[in-house]
Amino acid sequence: MTTHIIGFLFLLATLFSGCGDKDAKPTHTDGSSVVASEKNLAKSDGRATKDGSDLETARIGAMTGTIGEFYVEEHFLDAKHLLFDDINDAIVALRSKQVDYVITAYTTALLASKHNKDIGLLPKKYINEPAAVAVRKGNYELVEKMNAVIHRMKEDGSLADLIERWLEQDGGEYDGPKKPAGADAPVLKVGVAANREPMCFVRRNKIVGLDCELIETIAADMGMRVEYMDMKFSALINAIESGRAEVIISNFTVTEERREKVLFTEDYFTNPQIMITLKGADDMGQDDDASGFFVKIKKSFYNNLIRENRWKLIVEGLKATLIITLFAALLGTIIGALVCAMRMSRNRLINGIARVYIDIMRGTPLLVMLMILFYVVFASTGLSAMIVAIITFALNMAAYSSEMFRTSIESVDPGQKEAGLSMGFTKVRTFIYIILPQAVRKVIPIYKGEVISLLKMTSIVGYIAVVDLTKASDIIRSRTFDAFFPLIVVAIIYFLLSWLLGVGIDYINQKVSSAK
Amino acid sequence: MIRVEHLKKNFGQLEVLRDVNANIAKGEVISIIGPSGTGKSTFLRCLNLLDQPSGGEIFIENENILNKKANVAKIRQKMGMVFQHFYLFDHLTVLQNVTIGPMKLRDKSKVEAAERGMELLKMVGLAEKADAYPRNLSGGQKQRVAIARCLSMDPRIILFDEPTSALDPTMVSEVLGVIRSLAKQGMTMVIVTHEMSFARDVSTRIFYMDEGVIYEEGTPEQLFDNPQREKTRIFINRIRNLEYRINSPDYDLYALNSEIEAFCQKHFFSPKMQHNILLLTEECLQVVPLTGGLDYLLTYSEKSSQVSLRLILPASTGMIFGADKEPDTISLAIINGLTESLTESVVDDSLIIEMILKK
Repeated sequence: MTTHIIGFLFLLATLFSGCGDKDAKPTHTDGSSVVASEKNLAKSDGRATKDGSDLETARIGAMTGTIGEFYVEEHFLDAKHLLFDDINDAIVALRSKQVDYVITAYTTALLASKHNKDIGLLPKKYINEPAAVAVRKGNYELVEKMNAVIHRMKEDGSLADLIERWLEQDGGEYDGPKKPAGADAPVLKVGVAANREPMCFVRRNKIVGLDCELIETIAADMGMRVEYMDMKFSALINAIESGRAEVIISNFTVTEERREKVLFTEDYFTNPQIMITLKGADDMGQDDDASGFFVKIKKSFYNNLIRENRWKLIVEGLKATLIITLFAALLGTIIGALVCAMRMSRNRLINGIARVYIDIMRGTPLLVMLMILFYVVFASTGLSAMIVAIITFALNMAAYSSEMFRTSIESVDPGQKEAGLSMGFTKVRTFIYIILPQAVRKVIPIYKGEVISLLKMTSIVGYIAVVDLTKASDIIRSRTFDAFFPLIVVAIIYFLLSWLLGVGIDYINQKVSSAK
Repeated sequence: MIRVEHLKKNFGQLEVLRDVNANIAKGEVISIIGPSGTGKSTFLRCLNLLDQPSGGEIFIENENILNKKANVAKIRQKMGMVFQHFYLFDHLTVLQNVTIGPMKLRDKSKVEAAERGMELLKMVGLAEKADAYPRNLSGGQKQRVAIARCLSMDPRIILFDEPTSALDPTMVSEVLGVIRSLAKQGMTMVIVTHEMSFARDVSTRIFYMDEGVIYEEGTPEQLFDNPQREKTRIFINRIRNLEYRINSPDYDLYALNSEIEAFCQKHFFSPKMQHNILLLTEECLQVVPLTGGLDYLLTYSEKSSQVSLRLILPASTGMIFGADKEPDTISLAIINGLTESLTESVVDDSLIIEMILKK
């Protein structure tokens, strides 16, 4: 155990010593002035190592499902395309030289370069197509209502104010609509991808941004209150098609392809796409990099956990991860026992059903199963994402645990059963008093592994808008543009959880073994 | 106490018990002997329905246990069973092994069950192992615990299924000692065993099973000293016989050879004799066609101190050493050199080749 921890710390140290150069000056992070930094960057553009002349054949990264992706696909045919879910992942790829350029929204690019001194912008802007609110197909009434509000906001200049405020002053102290609808007002379910500062992001553990203020204002005007579902950008269309969300707003550009799936309101903002790239070493200028390892960690610690109470996000995520893991393990074990009983049945139909169930669950990727259950099977039931996650993981756990139970029961010497029967125990009591205790003891070590791997598998629930540990770290990363620290923190937490789970199961095992 | 009528048991196509009839009175100790694969264990396992009989009737204390309404679990509580491989409950201590039955099935309190359990463990000489787990016991100790476990249910009858076959020779006597003392106490017992001398002095009656029936039964004196029927006689003489069944040309020569060697050593044959027997066996099996299978029977007669080898083949094989064939091969020459006499005869549908080895 000790060796594990030492190894882990070593890994940690290695990672930090290699990446301590991207922390921002504290004055910048709070978005004191976007304009100012834009000027800085304008100067540094010319100094970027790559100038865009090789775009035709370069490796270009884009965010999955965004307009930037479509653009590169169409216009840079000979370039190699790489897809990311998050701008931070793309920045890490830039740094590790896996891509040469990344195309992203102008606003995102500004922030990225503000937080990362080694990231520069190319001057050329692509696609001047505007963003609009997407509405579920068929709901023309909502589109019209929203259009009216947007139109009025354009007329009276409040939209322009709003945009300027978010682009230049980080939204100021915005904390919700001025005239909010009551708590019992009808709910407008809004799908967002809250990793796109300043459009839509998490600040002080709350989803805010240009998009958010706009949709909240519109909703308040219509007498509704907004409920957000934060998910991957690429899953937004799914959410609206399956009815999980009524509208989506997330710097969502109007395209013909998207028009086939959703309705668009009037546009409200034009956010061109732009290329970012890595600056050469000599372009970096003087860096206050002299600070030591521990100072860097301290800074990262402050930025990622203390500022805006971001640790609360981690705690929330931890709660979600634990709830999903524990309930899924419990439910999965119960269903697993049931499936195991079916699988061992002599009735060929029952046996066959169990077999097919096990094969299906084991033969499909869990993430795919999770999305199918959330966006297709349970879409119309309105079951919360958390419940769907628990069900999915429980079903998966059941398939694996049932086979574990079966093999461990079958591995008990048949003579034990005969001995029990010949003493006068009935079949059932022989199973309970003789077979089961021995099977349990055999299964516990493998079962422990399965529960731990379940804990780790829950890290995919971010796909269906549950904020778990992993998703919490994604959210923090999308704000701090710190690619490593949140990941390491979360990795350590997962590791400790696995370890505790293991110790807990071992403890139960000992109790069971020493008791009768 | 036990009455068995026309008991049948098939395993698929294989007919193991054809027609078993028996009557066992209270206090009797029955030993069942016979060659392997003649259904001794199956018969025993049918008595407590671990194997479901294919036909016939079994009455235990006048209750027909094959009646669908019979409470099998209740009946089994009256009939303990001791297995060749012990089957102690591995997850329980020795004491728990002998208390679980009374506690769960007889609603005895833990204290009561433990008291009785310790008494039983004392009886089998293992009181000091009460808190050990089965995995820490020797084979003989395990079997004695298994007997104590059996007794913990106060059975009226105990069935022993080859209780010493899985034991090291040094541990056989400790187990037999316990069984003997049970016999003295008047326990009704049915014992499947290969320990002939034990069977002889502990039993009130012996069943010799063969061909799926109780082929011959009687007191130990009758059966061991004066067996009436052919197969019984051969079996009783088995100590002087080596039987081996070859089913196909792909038989296991090494297994056969090692049995021959063990047989030779048991009877203190000279190394030369052992060599001759091995050689004769090998040559015969080269000459004789094995496609129809073959029974190999090596017999040592103490009276005449003669060793004879008998091979039994299907009659359809046709004469092999017959007069019309010249002993022109080397194998035949060797066989003739090793044997004093060689006779070949067809009885019913079998071809029997009988050879007496030169001394």
